[in-house]
Amino acid sequence: MSEILAKTEDIVKKTKILGADEVVAKTTFGRYKQVRFSANQVDITVAWNDYVTDIALAWKKRLVATQIHDFRNIDSSLKQLISLAKVSQENPMFGGFAKGKFRYRKSEADKQLESLENLTEYVFEAIGAAEKAASGGVDSGGILFTKFEDIYLVSSEGPIGVDSRSAIELSIRAFTEREASGHGVECSSRLKDFKPARAGVKAGEIAKLAKGSRGGDEGVYDVIFDPLIFGSCLGIWGGMVSAWSVMVQMSVFVNKLGQKVAPEYVTIRDNPAAYSLSNRAFDDEGVQTHENVFIDHGVLKTYLHNASTAKLFKTETTGNAGLVFPNPWNIEMDAGDMTKNELFSEMKHGLYLTNTWYSRFQNYAKGDFSTIPRDGIFLIEKGEVKQSLKNLRISDNVLAMLGNIAAISKERQHVHWWGEADPPSLSPYVLIENVHMTKSR
Amino acid sequence: MDEQIIDYALEHAQSKKVEYAEVRASDQVQDRLVMRNGVVEAFGSGVDSGFCVRIIANGGIGFTSTNKWSKQEAKEIVDLAFRYAKAANRKDKLVFAEEKGVTTKWVVDQKKKIENISPEDKISAFAEIDKALTGCGVRIAATMSQCFIDLITKYFVNSEGSRISSFVPKIGAYFFITVTEQGKTEQAYKQFGYSGGWEAFDEWHVSERMIHDAKVLKDVLTKAKAVKPENMDLVCGSEVTGIAAHESCGHPMEADRILGREMSQAGRSFIYKGGEYWIGTRIGNEVVTVIDDPTIEHSYGYYAYDDEGVKASRRLLYKNGIINEFLHNRESAAKLGTRSNGSSRSINYDREAIIRMANTFVLPGDYSEEELMKDVKHGVYMKSFTEWNIDDKRFNQRYVGREAYLIENGELTVPVARPVIETTTLKFWTAVDAVSKKVQFDAATCGKGDPAQGVPVYTGGPCLRLRGVYVK
Repeated sequence: MSEILAKTEDIVKKTKILGADEVVAKTTFGRYKQVRFSANQVDITVAWNDYVTDIALAWKKRLVATQIHDFRNIDSSLKQLISLAKVSQENPMFGGFAKGKFRYRKSEADKQLESLENLTEYVFEAIGAAEKAASGGVDSGGILFTKFEDIYLVSSEGPIGVDSRSAIELSIRAFTEREASGHGVECSSRLKDFKPARAGVKAGEIAKLAKGSRGGDEGVYDVIFDPLIFGSCLGIWGGMVSAWSVMVQMSVFVNKLGQKVAPEYVTIRDNPAAYSLSNRAFDDEGVQTHENVFIDHGVLKTYLHNASTAKLFKTETTGNAGLVFPNPWNIEMDAGDMTKNELFSEMKHGLYLTNTWYSRFQNYAKGDFSTIPRDGIFLIEKGEVKQSLKNLRISDNVLAMLGNIAAISKERQHVHWWGEADPPSLSPYVLIENVHMTKSR
Repeated sequence: MDEQIIDYALEHAQSKKVEYAEVRASDQVQDRLVMRNGVVEAFGSGVDSGFCVRIIANGGIGFTSTNKWSKQEAKEIVDLAFRYAKAANRKDKLVFAEEKGVTTKWVVDQKKKIENISPEDKISAFAEIDKALTGCGVRIAATMSQCFIDLITKYFVNSEGSRISSFVPKIGAYFFITVTEQGKTEQAYKQFGYSGGWEAFDEWHVSERMIHDAKVLKDVLTKAKAVKPENMDLVCGSEVTGIAAHESCGHPMEADRILGREMSQAGRSFIYKGGEYWIGTRIGNEVVTVIDDPTIEHSYGYYAYDDEGVKASRRLLYKNGIINEFLHNRESAAKLGTRSNGSSRSINYDREAIIRMANTFVLPGDYSEEELMKDVKHGVYMKSFTEWNIDDKRFNQRYVGREAYLIENGELTVPVARPVIETTTLKFWTAVDAVSKKVQFDAATCGKGDPAQGVPVYTGGPCLRLRGVYVK
């Protein structure tokens, strides 16, 4: 047992002695690096180390939590936390932390990402690829991010585990004209699978195609969603499957378990698999993580749970516990039976959207929202890009869009971008019919 | 906070061939309360404490941070920041606009010290709101509320001789309600924020305002009509004025966007050198002046010195309808040949300080609210908003009304369900022909940066009257 795991276990023991009924402690030793660039040059290189123990404890159905950053004062922090629990209020719905022993898969974290140097080389590789793909000068900006975390978790209820989690991602946005841009991302948990040039090529190709844009027209369109913009949809839908979102009505899936919410060829799951940026062997209660199909052939099968919400919904935890609430980790949409090229070639008249941002809801329970596509927006006629467009907005409804999914590509990409396509996902090209597009007047 | 370690880190940085070095430490006592339907879901409390180093060397910038308080760790992160700065290998060398070193200490006072408010009292204050909502005669399907308290102590030193200590208590609250009637739902949220003590809670009148919103949602479900889409006059309440000021004035006037430094995340700006819009270009009617002011005492976005040690000041962004002054930090100011106006903010020791708004609002005009309405034959009064967004060049925006009424012959008549204005920055601000006298503020959390940094701000202003805009 490592020294840090022993210290984490010690925290749990001390907290129990102080009177806690149940305790989970998770120590993270995180090393994070980031290069930010714009105008094809590095603006800043950043590294931050974070040593933190997250503690959640329950005392007579009162749930309290803290983060310890200063390990010189652990005893007083624990005393304060138990005192807080004793003056807090009972939550009759609290069902306790996960219980039992679990077998965890072995971490596949890439040690190379623990001490990776020369980060700027990857940035310049992506910028160079974007320039080449755009056949000329581009103005590129973005980030390169690496993460290596060692995790030590101990629960008074049985679970105990050690995990290492690594990730590297690059996000590049390239401009060929002031209003012609493309965005590419490259995400992996391992360095050997990380190909920054792929993101550069994607950004450059879209930016080249986006030249000479004109204002788009309002209307109802069949739309092909690129994996990056569809990743934004998957992130939102995945968040709405969290039992917490359902409990506070920030979800279109309230009271829809067992109901058809999409066509039968739509299957979506949460899977923190080894390839993903959010890979993990166990959740924040120490339950082993695994894939959970939440939309199975169009039917809503489950919400994502921690042990407490699962009890409330009379089911089992799905291994999605965060420190307090359940979260999705990595959303995967099952591949379809058409190639990307077939999707495009069969489109007579429609749009191809590559990216979006600023998705906001007027009613989460109903699903009414809008979002603003950015980067390449293309009018497709008879399978070909007819015109680059700009200044359009999707103003639609989550359930309507889910129901109008008409085709899914075989090709999928692991995408993640800022808070806009988050959590990460394995996302295909998707055709959605009858999407409402609006614009400024 | 061990200031000796911070001073040592600066000393060590200065022993290297650096053009500039700074060390910024922060210690944040954080309380987080989450309640659902009046019951505590979780109460979090902790202290986050650490420091960062930023170095310019060979025209590049390196930034490193840690929460391990030791001289050895300080030495290591300084060495790494120095190495990163040199490795940038930039063609255009970065420099900071000139500033003189400052030695000062500033604090925000509290009438009712947050440290003296017990957890029970905090819980009970929030539970009372839920109780009031439950008994207000509206069917409420769910409530969710959050309380955020941060007691922030900072210590900033740089190689130009600055030594700045500060203490700011910030208190924030967020409420989200779902109202149901006849099998349908409507939702609303409201955020509150203040720099200072627990006295804020009494001043917010949360119960009253949330009950008002619950009744508004009930009216939307039971009485409101859809608006017939056409060109008409629109009166914006202060909440709508505030979000428009923030989104279509504050953000596009951030110089880092203008220079492209945020291009792949928060985006760029419709304002850029050589483009249609620059300093001196008209962007709105002359009755419109939008400012950003961090010096409003006890505002959510208050600070006396920014996170680069530059004294805070009021910025006139759009002045009488003309693009007037960008928001700058020292890096952008040097690039555009000016001085920083103190707009650099960071949410914690482990985040780079970047250009941010503080409190962005429209200056008041001469009209009473009644006078604004009196002259409207047919239009909509959009008092507050729900869904909103704007494109990443900050030109195409959309605001959907939460509380809204039809105006007929100068009188408010029936509630209107979810009216929408979707228009450009130029059209919005040009259409304003009258501005009311009374300014009101709302708290918000502004998002920007990668990793994301949500900073506390106020948005606000008076009521605006827009002539002949398309409302649907």
